[in-house]
Amino acid sequence: MNADKRVLSRIGARELTEEEVEAVTGAFKIQHTLTPCFIDKKQQLLNGDQAIGECGG
Amino acid sequence: MKIIVLAPENDNHTAPIKWALEKAGHQVVCWAGLAWTGDGQATVLLGNDDAVVLGGHSVDPGDVIWIRRPEPPLPNPKTSESDKKFASLEYRSFYHSLVYLLEDLPVWCINKYSASRAIIQKSVQLRLARKCGLKTPATLMSNSPGPVREFLARDGSRSICKGFTPHVWQKDGHHSVAITETFELRSEQLPADEVLTYAPAIYQEMVVKEFDVRMVLMGTHIYSYALTNTKKALDWRQDAGLGHVTVERITTPPDVEEGVLEFARQAGICFGSLDFGVDAQGQWSFLEINEQGQFLWLDQFNRDLKLQEKFCAFITAPEGSTAPLEDREDLFPALHEYEDLLSREQVPPTARPRTDDPFLSMEA
Repeated sequence: MNADKRVLSRIGARELTEEEVEAVTGAFKIQHTLTPCFIDKKQQLLNGDQAIGECGG
Repeated sequence: MKIIVLAPENDNHTAPIKWALEKAGHQVVCWAGLAWTGDGQATVLLGNDDAVVLGGHSVDPGDVIWIRRPEPPLPNPKTSESDKKFASLEYRSFYHSLVYLLEDLPVWCINKYSASRAIIQKSVQLRLARKCGLKTPATLMSNSPGPVREFLARDGSRSICKGFTPHVWQKDGHHSVAITETFELRSEQLPADEVLTYAPAIYQEMVVKEFDVRMVLMGTHIYSYALTNTKKALDWRQDAGLGHVTVERITTPPDVEEGVLEFARQAGICFGSLDFGVDAQGQWSFLEINEQGQFLWLDQFNRDLKLQEKFCAFITAPEGSTAPLEDREDLFPALHEYEDLLSREQVPPTARPRTDDPFLSMEA
């Protein structure tokens, strides 16, 4: 990754482990549907027409 | 009285809550949002007898409307290409006419749409929290390199950086995934000025946390939970999703409770999930609020919390009731009972794949 061409949040983003990848992208296959965070693809991501960030901290 | 949930029936909070409410004898209907299809259609009639109909469900005096997570307006795909832009804007305007109107009707909105739109903005919530006596970390939101460098150069203070919204980057054709997460940032780590203009970000004084707190606000009731992250990560959320967090009910300090209730009063909200960081001195720092934040996951970590039951007691109580939710929580079944049925496929599965995920980017 060329850090001079990417947004700061991508530079600081966390590369997921295989286990974490499964939790995030494997969501369509599993029924564990509750997480504290919206980053999961299985969540409804929009409220009305505005995005809600729930991964601040 | 019926409860109208503005969300798809298979939303991961809507489905178990609807099930629990119906088990206790309440009438619950869902409207996923404005769409061209029959169950997405809506009507507003303004005249001698005003009427609002959402997907065939009339909105009646005394109803409770939980604005959980309505989907974006969906115009008819068969609309002429030449008219699609217009139709899309019309759908959006009509949608806003509907949801803003709801709070003017004799119904209880959880939360009022106008209040939710303002308080979801991180600048608004941080400033209001401070005004209400809550401790907040110094924060800079900017896309201007000068102020960012100045903020990061503050003496004797560590800083973090985070985005306004979550995002996922997936490498094209690979399994590799990166997600936005709060990260510590030192001035010497700052990239070239131009990079700071690529996307605005939130730069914030770092709260050196002993533990995190997820708080759930239901009317005048406040429930705080200590989240102990066994991995000691700066941002606990992904670890929580993997089960690396323990959840324990704790007492909210009186000054924090007072500040949160004043915050809710001034923001005009009655429900939300709040995050705090607690330092070694026991000081609680407000980090953020999501007025429709996730809360049922707490029940998965600790069955004794009974948040599903408390929420059901909350939305079936009279608006503004201060009676303890614990008095009525046993009227409703628990989340684990629903999940047991889910595992045996005796209730429909929750969630569904999205094909147009706005928070996912592919990268080379």
